[in-house]
Amino acid sequence: MVAPLYTTASGLLFHAGKILVLTVGLPARGKTHISRALERYLRWTGVKTMVISLGDYRRKVLGGAQKVPPDYFTLGPKSPETLALRRKVSDGCEQLIWDFFDSGGQVCIYDANNGTRERRQAIAENFDKAGIHIVILESLCDNEELIMANIRSVKISSPDYRGWDPEKAVADYYSRIKNNEAHYEPVEETTWPYIRIMNVGEKIMVNHIRGYLQSRVVFFLMNIHNNFRTIYFARSGQSLIEHSYKADSDLSPAGWEYAERLKEFVLERRAKSLQQRGMDPTTRRLVIWTSTRRRSHHTAWPFLNITTEDPAPPAKVKIVERPQMSEINPGVWDGLSPDQVKKYYPDEWERFVKDPYAYRAPRAESYHDLCVRLEPTLVELEREREDLLIIGHASVIRCILAYLIGLPVSEIPAIEVARGDLIEVVPTSYGVYSQAYHFWDGPGRSDVGGGVGKDEKNFYENYAEDTKGKRRPDVIDSLVT
Amino acid sequence: MPSSDPEPQPQPPSPGDSPRLSPRDLAHVDGALKSMSMKESDGRAEPSPSAPPAVFGAGGPMLKQFDQSTAAGSRIASQSVTPPRSVVGIGGKVAKPDYSEAKIILAMVGLPARGKSYLSNKLMRYLKWLEYDVKVFNVGQLRRSRARQKAQLTGQREDHTASYFSHDNEEATRLREKLAEDSLDMLIQWLKEGGNVGIHDATNSTRSRRQKIVERAAQEKGMSVVFLESVCDDPALIAANVALKVSSGDPDYKDMSREKAKADFLRRIREYEAVYETITEPHLSYLRIKNVGAEVTLCHIHGYLQSRIAFYLMNLHLKPRSIFFSRHGESQYNVEGKIGGDSSLSERGMRYARALPALITDNIGDAELTVWTSTLQRTIQTAQYLPYNKLTWKSLDELDAGVCDGMTYEEIEQAYPEDFANRDEDKFNYRYRGGESYRDVVVRLEPVIMELERQENILIIGHQAILRCLYAYFHNLPQADLPYIKIPLHTVIKLTPKAYGCDEERYTLPIGAVDTHRPKPKSAKASGSTSANGNAASPPPGLPLVSSTGREYYADNI
Repeated sequence: MVAPLYTTASGLLFHAGKILVLTVGLPARGKTHISRALERYLRWTGVKTMVISLGDYRRKVLGGAQKVPPDYFTLGPKSPETLALRRKVSDGCEQLIWDFFDSGGQVCIYDANNGTRERRQAIAENFDKAGIHIVILESLCDNEELIMANIRSVKISSPDYRGWDPEKAVADYYSRIKNNEAHYEPVEETTWPYIRIMNVGEKIMVNHIRGYLQSRVVFFLMNIHNNFRTIYFARSGQSLIEHSYKADSDLSPAGWEYAERLKEFVLERRAKSLQQRGMDPTTRRLVIWTSTRRRSHHTAWPFLNITTEDPAPPAKVKIVERPQMSEINPGVWDGLSPDQVKKYYPDEWERFVKDPYAYRAPRAESYHDLCVRLEPTLVELEREREDLLIIGHASVIRCILAYLIGLPVSEIPAIEVARGDLIEVVPTSYGVYSQAYHFWDGPGRSDVGGGVGKDEKNFYENYAEDTKGKRRPDVIDSLVT
Repeated sequence: MPSSDPEPQPQPPSPGDSPRLSPRDLAHVDGALKSMSMKESDGRAEPSPSAPPAVFGAGGPMLKQFDQSTAAGSRIASQSVTPPRSVVGIGGKVAKPDYSEAKIILAMVGLPARGKSYLSNKLMRYLKWLEYDVKVFNVGQLRRSRARQKAQLTGQREDHTASYFSHDNEEATRLREKLAEDSLDMLIQWLKEGGNVGIHDATNSTRSRRQKIVERAAQEKGMSVVFLESVCDDPALIAANVALKVSSGDPDYKDMSREKAKADFLRRIREYEAVYETITEPHLSYLRIKNVGAEVTLCHIHGYLQSRIAFYLMNLHLKPRSIFFSRHGESQYNVEGKIGGDSSLSERGMRYARALPALITDNIGDAELTVWTSTLQRTIQTAQYLPYNKLTWKSLDELDAGVCDGMTYEEIEQAYPEDFANRDEDKFNYRYRGGESYRDVVVRLEPVIMELERQENILIIGHQAILRCLYAYFHNLPQADLPYIKIPLHTVIKLTPKAYGCDEERYTLPIGAVDTHRPKPKSAKASGSTSANGNAASPPPGLPLVSSTGREYYADNI
């Protein structure tokens, strides 16, 4: 269950109080990755959460690394000017944290090195006095490869190194953190509750963690990782009766056709994507999740017939059916067209149009209900290490995409997920890259791009397809070539 | 569907788009859908504005026509050797998810009377409910049964008083080591035969002992070892555990007076304390629980099931509390014998709603209580007079009967006699078409269970299938019996969690209600019963009222 069930008028969880998560760790140890992932998860569950990044703030106030005095990043004696600058940055950050709590925020994640005991103690005491719970989140890394990968993928693309030669940037950054290492004091004090994460989720150690929200955070952190992987989303093929939830109908001939094309395209796209990053698609596995609805798991059927003749076949394909991933339940509106709904349920229709995220039609699920239902699936999504293809329903894909991209929940019903698009999502430290590839036109594709066979009766599930101001990932049209 | 509505037909694509589609296929589906819409509007009067057209219920003719007209046609032939089975009718049996990759040896660590058995028991209940195959291998039990065999064969009785547990007693120490090893071998054998989580319930109190477990498990492929250390420094908790051990009929103490038994048991604890080493080995994967959930340390916990176990243990507490279950008051649909729906309460149901607050308040006094309801009318109406905080959970909604929603069992049986019989054959695994199975409901209720473990006094105003699933969790009832648990209307069930199970009390209000229970049919051809029954409080026939608060000593032949 997720937090919104327990929110009060102020938007705070009962009993949990306000929490300041202090990250501790050397640079390039995955602190930002962890902070952002946690922020995304807690926000999605309805907890008002914010990451305050010392690095981002410093860049905003002082500019890139070249613009600060040379002794800014080195430890040891500093000039009074540098000390004043550093002071200004940390005071500014702390003010941001106070502002966030004052404006009704519940969980603040302070993303900074906090590498000395003295510094941690000072911040913690300061906020503890105001009744804010402190949680220390230490991120350690003893895997040199992971550190270097992190530097290459994240740090040298940061504004600090704009215009630098990549190799020089890596070398510069590496020396910067080497310098820090000598002065780093790992968390040994047991004054505050703490969570220690090794190699981004490989091992985790927890002490004095109390309360629901904190245990929820631990559970989440136990499941994340930052290994490279791709996540694909595609809608199920067209079914015989698109507009009935209850009939649970099988795929139409066009749907079977779609399923075959989907298989071909996923294999092709995945191979390209992995090869671009220097990986071999035939050594990695592919996991496919479907719902238990027929149209969804039958769309995955061709994937069971992958042979060596297929382009770049994955080492193994595993298909998992998940009952939590059924489409949004339209309740009494099942099978009705918008006109019929307006006619028979005028009041309900009006309320639905006003707030399609929170409104629950009679016996139906609201998008909020759907998000709550999907929450265990998200944790499993985080822990999955293989390449993943989710063959789902528009409503379900919307919720999961919103989570991954970090969109506010109110926008969920308006995310467009066209049948015939394959959405590729690659998680990175600062967020995700998402890109849609249009690979199929045919019956059941919505009217995006002049397609045919849009089923307007299936409007509850397909609400976004009729919405103005909808969101859609960038689309690359693969049909053009 | 009124015929004036636009037809949402899939249109044939232009030839270049999908070469493998034959226009005949599309025409076929097209025709099927059209003829259905025709039949629908032929057979009925134009629906009134207040009654929207019922579309794909199993009660109407459309579903059958649809299945017949598309039975052969939708699949493109020669596509795959073994195409997926297409479900027709009102549902079908669904297979259990594949958990064969989960193989965990969960070894307990802790002094006697630290709640090891409590935790293993609790964990077993939770994981079994989630359909993992779990078994506890209790070393003490193995010791007792072997000693008895020996006594029968040779007439010699082994001394199992505290001196047996002293580390100075070399012979006994060797015997105890052997027992622990044998028990671990049995556990590993069981995992190989398909088990998921084997719990090694022993003290495993020294480093060398734990190292042996790790080394033994390393010989096997795909098995991971997790230690679960239970630490307890609360004297009251320990005293309670000791008292429980002495008074619960532990066979070790069956011929001793209580005082003597207690003294001996305390001496046994001291023997263990003398050599006890808490887990500090940095390479071990372990969870340390202090005072049952008050504080949890996790180390090297990875893997889905392991993190689930950790999260579950983090949510446990031992504060005394009660959980109340009540179904909603009798609803209109109950009276009419229909399933599902979102009807309001009947007049008798309303009387129950008005009488409920007094019953709860009498029982609980001034203590705090939170009421959970589903999002359906009948539970909200039932809770309306209760003077407590209320929360509405979508996850507590009744099992979705899909196409059968709103029908009576007789109607379903008439329309789909075979399917109806199929459901009776394996009710837990049967998923209604467009709806849910009991297994789906269990999956959906998992977060509710987690939340229930965390909370204190809770009253759930729920539905029959939902309360059956929750009740089965608290009483550790097997899956096959779950769909037949008797939860009558107008009855409050009070569960009080105790060390090894739950105490149960039932309070029935003298307000008549129909009996909605369908007993497990003797033969496949049993008829549904919705007979009026003035007093629905009788305990379930066949299923004894469970009150499993005593410590269970495992069956002798393990």
